[in-house]
Amino acid sequence: MAETNNQELTFTSSDGKNMKVPRDVAERSLLIKNMLEDLGDATEAIPIPNVSENVLTKVLEWCTHHRNDPPTTGDEDDSRRKTTDIEEWDQKFMQVDQEMLFEIILAANYLDIKPLLDIGCKTVANMIKGKSPEEIRKTFNIQNDFTPEEEDQIRRENEWAEE
Amino acid sequence: MARDKDGLEISIPLRLYRSGLTTPSLSTAPFKVDEGYSDDTRSQADKELSRTPSDDVMSIPDWVLAHNEVERAEIAYNLLLTLRTSTVASVVERLTPLLHMDPVLKLPPEITSEIFSYLEPQTLLTASLASRAWRSRVFDSRLWKDLYIGEGWRVDIDAIRAFEQEQSALPQSRKSRSRYADTDLGEPKLKKRVPSGWLDSRSLGSDDNSVSAAEVQQLLAAQKVEIDGDHPLPELQNTSSSNPQETESGDGPENRPSKAIQRTLSVKSPLLIRMPNGSVKVDWPYLYRQRRRLEDNWVKGRYTNFQLPHPAHMDEAHGECVYAIQFIGKWLVSGSRDKTVRVWDLETKRLWHRPLLGHKKSVLCLQFDPSPSEDIIVSGSSDKSVIVWRFSTGEKIHEIVPAHDDSVLNLRFDSRYLVTCSKDKLIKVWNRRHLSPLDEAYPNVSHGVGVTYPSYIIDTSEIPSPVLEAEIAKNHIRALAPYSLLMALAGHTAAVNAIQLNNDEIVSASGDRVIRVWNVRNGVCKRVILGHDKGIACVQSDDMRIVSGSNDNTVRIFDHVSGAQVACLQGHTNLVRTVQAGFGDPPGSEEALRLEALAVDQDFWDAQRSGRAVDLGPAAMRRAGYRQNTTGSRDPRDINAVGALIPPGGGGSKWGKIVSGSYDESVIIWRKDSKGEWVVSQTLRQADAAARAAHIAPTNTPSRSGPLRGNAFAQLAALAAQARPAPPQPLPSAPVNNTASNHQGNSSIPAQPSNTGQNPPQNHETPVLPNYANFMNLVATNLHLRPPAQSPTSRIFKIQFDARKIVCASQDPRIVVWDFVGDDEELNEACQFFTGL
Repeated sequence: MAETNNQELTFTSSDGKNMKVPRDVAERSLLIKNMLEDLGDATEAIPIPNVSENVLTKVLEWCTHHRNDPPTTGDEDDSRRKTTDIEEWDQKFMQVDQEMLFEIILAANYLDIKPLLDIGCKTVANMIKGKSPEEIRKTFNIQNDFTPEEEDQIRRENEWAEE
Repeated sequence: MARDKDGLEISIPLRLYRSGLTTPSLSTAPFKVDEGYSDDTRSQADKELSRTPSDDVMSIPDWVLAHNEVERAEIAYNLLLTLRTSTVASVVERLTPLLHMDPVLKLPPEITSEIFSYLEPQTLLTASLASRAWRSRVFDSRLWKDLYIGEGWRVDIDAIRAFEQEQSALPQSRKSRSRYADTDLGEPKLKKRVPSGWLDSRSLGSDDNSVSAAEVQQLLAAQKVEIDGDHPLPELQNTSSSNPQETESGDGPENRPSKAIQRTLSVKSPLLIRMPNGSVKVDWPYLYRQRRRLEDNWVKGRYTNFQLPHPAHMDEAHGECVYAIQFIGKWLVSGSRDKTVRVWDLETKRLWHRPLLGHKKSVLCLQFDPSPSEDIIVSGSSDKSVIVWRFSTGEKIHEIVPAHDDSVLNLRFDSRYLVTCSKDKLIKVWNRRHLSPLDEAYPNVSHGVGVTYPSYIIDTSEIPSPVLEAEIAKNHIRALAPYSLLMALAGHTAAVNAIQLNNDEIVSASGDRVIRVWNVRNGVCKRVILGHDKGIACVQSDDMRIVSGSNDNTVRIFDHVSGAQVACLQGHTNLVRTVQAGFGDPPGSEEALRLEALAVDQDFWDAQRSGRAVDLGPAAMRRAGYRQNTTGSRDPRDINAVGALIPPGGGGSKWGKIVSGSYDESVIIWRKDSKGEWVVSQTLRQADAAARAAHIAPTNTPSRSGPLRGNAFAQLAALAAQARPAPPQPLPSAPVNNTASNHQGNSSIPAQPSNTGQNPPQNHETPVLPNYANFMNLVATNLHLRPPAQSPTSRIFKIQFDARKIVCASQDPRIVVWDFVGDDEELNEACQFFTGL
């Protein structure tokens, strides 16, 4: 068991860079884990066609930090009321520019790293929380394509949800 | 240099080469114009940035581009340092959009849906104002379906599916595309998060939690209310010589269900979204919104009232007080002191078929199942018998005479068993169908105390099964006929007022102040729950909790598993006769509740260790001069028991509600406040509802919360004047009230004390038809002639609520309903899919 965990794999990023990854770190990705289970030992480099080197580095940093986390079981988080609390290390980890943030989310989705995807989504959710529509537009550089009349009307339609 | 490097963090691609640092236009660019006014998005700047390269792009020297990214950053930084501060600011301004990008454009719908799933509805609605693209992503059906389910609300998923199919099949002549459906056709396809079983709540059969929750207790033989015997009995108040038979013959052949309410929905209904493939789906954001509006009506006490029977058909009313009701869908079945069982159509408010005659005394309890596979009503009476009726035809199909040695106070059935309880202190279990000793449902004989079996019940554990099979094959042992007694459970020391049957568990409540939990398979008493100070009148249970109402005027919530009391609700001023709770548990909340409960226990132990004045049990606390708040407080001083699997208050969603009815003539709707403690949300008076309901709804009147005092009477009189000729049989005179007896005249309306002088808005002189006289006496009594010390006229015997209404049976022969939909058409339409909590 320990032996297989220590095995080193090689990833090739979308921009053609090779990176060495300990197997237990790589297996935080269910995509990789399932692939390894199907293929047995991978001696050749594994191409990660959708993730560039700088993003992959970041993702692997997360995987390394969380290499000893208990494995997640499917739907468990669905059962609880969703909180957007994020543990401190992960919060710091997510302090990146928006492009990187979205790239991490896309990579986590592709590589099937659910906890990382969750943290990414929570981070974005927290950027939306408590903001006015205008502040949301500013935060994400969104162009307001509603006419003032439309905006007024939508505001009125939304009144039902006010406490 | 190293410091600069840190400051710039390499991974941010600045794309200098693309945007081109054109110098002169910079300082005048949008930055200056918008100075001090931030109400604009950066998108204009963004456009400008993306446009510039094509035209006046400033080519960057090759030697610059030859450097690597870190070096180029250094060059750019140093170049910027040569500029005036204001110019730097405008560069920064132009660069900002590069650092802020729209997740809705950048991320696929399934991921934005995931992001949005962390947000509250209010936040989502705000976010929907950001742009059209955001709006279409926010109004994602799956997202709002999850939100809906997460609130603890339920829907009739079968009805939704059927509705969608039916509507999809309609010709697509009028295309009604939702404005939301257009933009974002890519419906996220994340895996389903809610087990489909969860959505289904209207399932039939009493095995189902929500149905048993919909029902609950029944109770007390009417009279001599077990309990400390200090309650005047309806029987004693009866002065009339009512004869139920007379009423029955009164209703003619026109009691077919009418098509008064038709749910014809055009494809234009706001409920629906037309999908690109032409099929039709319900609009979950819309459903969420309507449910939310409905719940707000409950919170704010916005409702209309109506009654059974329809005021224009008072001849269909029960002749005396109504002890038992249950409704499922549009059907309501009631049982009365007038010995009859009646089936009502809630849509027409009319009697459906003739009253069911068979009991020789008051009908005290009943349960029915209108589904074609069951099609039965089972009723219990103070004549000690139980009768099984065919729901659809009203014929008597079985009779257990006598079922008990005294009044049958409550009964519950599922597909296997009928369980009855009685004033004779016993609970009895009967089989619903032919039952052979080899069947799963056959009793497992236990030799414990309290349970007794008839001699024909075989201890199957003592006979090897091959022998048993052989005996059955030889017909030496026969299958039991339906409704054979399987066992009798003794243990309570007073009348057993209420029972519940939940899978393999019976929960019983008695005048002996105790709740017992029994195993229906072998009759063993598994648990005894103490807590009430006086006899218990009603009980309801689910897997996590037991809720009961008592003659100590309280409603209490107990942890089902440990028996610990987790809340005590004080608000009624007399016996709590009927209670129903809807906690609104979101899917999978059991684990969360357990953890919450553990945390509360932990706080308690911590407090005790630190020497704070905490102790279990109210007595000790009272001695210490502390008045416990036991409505759900988590303060260690308020904790009554540790080891519960549910937190104080019992858990559930914020929409959870408990409705209780009392001999204090009121119905209380309890809700949880922001701290999770149960508080009185609304107090509804039966008499007020009856007065409002009696006035024929000319529809479209706004709902009101206040009683209609003076007016109702006049409206009633007017109504009576218009009414069509009444059938010849006089209504049995109002039995519920002594004071009505001095207005027995058949042709005059009692004088109205409050209305004297010469401006009579009330037309006292209006001749009224004889049939309405008694009815009016009743209304008059309720409205005007009730001095404080008068004997009660509207004690509540039974309530049941669902998503939209509370139905209430009381001393009043009329059944009154609070309908929280009011006159809202949209809400009314959406309500067909809503089920209770």
